[in-house]
Amino acid sequence: MKVVVCVKHVPDSTIVKFDIVSKCLENVHYIMDPIDEISVSEALKIREKNGGDVTTLTLGPPRANEVLRTCLKMGADRAIHLVDEGSDARDPTSTASILGAYIARLPYDIILCGSESMDQANGYVGVGIAELLGLPLVTSVTRIDIFADTSSAVVHRRLRAGDREIVETPLPAVFTVDTVLTKPVYPRLRTILAGQKKEIETVGAASFATAEAEPDSTFGQPTISQPKPRLKKTATISSSLSPHERMKLIASGGVQDKGSSVVKKPPAQAAAEIIQFLINNGIISRST
Amino acid sequence: MADTNSEHAPAPEGSPADQEAPSHTSVWFYAEHRDGKLEESALKLACEARVLADKFGGEVFAILVGAADLQVLPAELGPYGTDNAFIIQDAHLDAYKGETYSDVLAQLAAAGEPATVLFASTAVGTDLAPRLAARLRAAYAARYTDIDVANDGTITVRRPVHGGNAHSTAPLLKKPLVATIDTQTLSVQKAKAPAATCTIEPRIAISPRATKTRTVDFLRADPCAVCVSEAEVVIGIGKGMGHIDNLGAVEELARLLGASIGGSRRATDERWIADERRIGLTGKTISPRLYLICGISGAFHHTLSIKGSQLKVVINTDEKAPISKMADLMIVGDMQKIVPELTKQLRDVAKSTS
Repeated sequence: MKVVVCVKHVPDSTIVKFDIVSKCLENVHYIMDPIDEISVSEALKIREKNGGDVTTLTLGPPRANEVLRTCLKMGADRAIHLVDEGSDARDPTSTASILGAYIARLPYDIILCGSESMDQANGYVGVGIAELLGLPLVTSVTRIDIFADTSSAVVHRRLRAGDREIVETPLPAVFTVDTVLTKPVYPRLRTILAGQKKEIETVGAASFATAEAEPDSTFGQPTISQPKPRLKKTATISSSLSPHERMKLIASGGVQDKGSSVVKKPPAQAAAEIIQFLINNGIISRST
Repeated sequence: MADTNSEHAPAPEGSPADQEAPSHTSVWFYAEHRDGKLEESALKLACEARVLADKFGGEVFAILVGAADLQVLPAELGPYGTDNAFIIQDAHLDAYKGETYSDVLAQLAAAGEPATVLFASTAVGTDLAPRLAARLRAAYAARYTDIDVANDGTITVRRPVHGGNAHSTAPLLKKPLVATIDTQTLSVQKAKAPAATCTIEPRIAISPRATKTRTVDFLRADPCAVCVSEAEVVIGIGKGMGHIDNLGAVEELARLLGASIGGSRRATDERWIADERRIGLTGKTISPRLYLICGISGAFHHTLSIKGSQLKVVINTDEKAPISKMADLMIVGDMQKIVPELTKQLRDVAKSTS
């Protein structure tokens, strides 16, 4: 089984912030997108079970070779860097076109992409690649079972409320990966050391930016800004509160008013209030 | 596109009707429906589409795809300003299938030339929208917050990036734009001028050829057993539960509501619930329709992971507990007394809608 995994070098969004003074992102620390850790781990498990190899691939600026080094240390066989200075501003349609056009030259049975990236979260690239290569596509995959003898796979995909759809597909195919697909693999020291020494294949823009791979952009240069502050309607501060309480309330930005109500009643009445609230909001309905 | 029964049908470019219905100004939206009724997300999308169409100076078109009972739906959209509704009804379209549905929509969009096609960021929308965009080689934006038109006619799209820590605004270079929006952030409101929604039944080729993938089966989750991060209704328990003997009452309530039980760090430290059910910084992040919070004070590491919950009902003896700030309904009281009472009344009075 030849598995190709698209990976991305992204700022860690759990710590990144938009600074309103400097008007740019602060605390930018690049990591391997957590969802790609899962894709690569799944690819390694597939290789363990079925044999074959794992090729990891990224479209990104020079610093993105770090994410490929991580892939090699996890145990990937190949790491290919499509060097793209402009990738931070690149729209997802264009990204998918370039990756798809390059993958077309590789041997593959399965192509894995994260269902959405940590930074841009459009959830488009895997879908775009499948369309470009004319391949079967299953999104939000939570489980993969491969049948090498019939060159097919049966996968589970995520629906709402914990439900799953079971889909059968011939190979080759594209799967976009859901976070629950697998737990990240912790490689042995031997694998890490071997990966440290492996070569990352670098491909310059001139090689992949052909007319067909570099289509018209769909979006122009993006501008980063502060997230819009959530509107906080200040409820009238109750005069029954002490001045200290009132100041605290005002200083904290006021009460986030979603029509919130406070109920202080004995248990039976309180329960009735909850039930009415749930009925009003369509969570439950009166059985006649 | 042949066989239209409305003068508001989008006209092919160059035709005399061009002046009346200019292309690339109409806003289309995909309306989800179930059992002969529109989903709430569809109504919210209709409102959003109306707002956008007014900015573009165009009309709103709803897209209804399915196997039966679609004729009744356009009337529901009139009050929200939907000018037209495409109905594509065929036995092969009974259940959602990405390949088939995106093929149908691609044919529709190729003939009609909309400025924008909107989807709700539901399970269907997040699969169907990018498929359509890919087919059309169209611009794609997921979970946008704003679409605006500048004086010079440039359309800009704004959306959250980096986990919501920043917003990115970019100018659109080509139409159409395919986009999804989180309809939970929208509200339903009637249009100033309700429309008499015209029904259009375009001729769409639905090839009975086998799709590349095949759905074999569905696995329905037991809502009480499902992981809290996927559950639609979650009951959270914390220090206020007091003792494991009180868990039985919570479990009964969970069964009635079809809820999955989760809890704070305290609940897992006390071994009341399994570690996988912990909600918080070191546990799961949840985004259910309803989070019933019993006896949890609401320290930062817990509240951080529950922001995606649509409705939060808090039961706590302390009116000033930090969690009360997030409550849609704040019940000041003892969960140990209220939960059994709630279960008792629920059994007599109501049933879950999910």
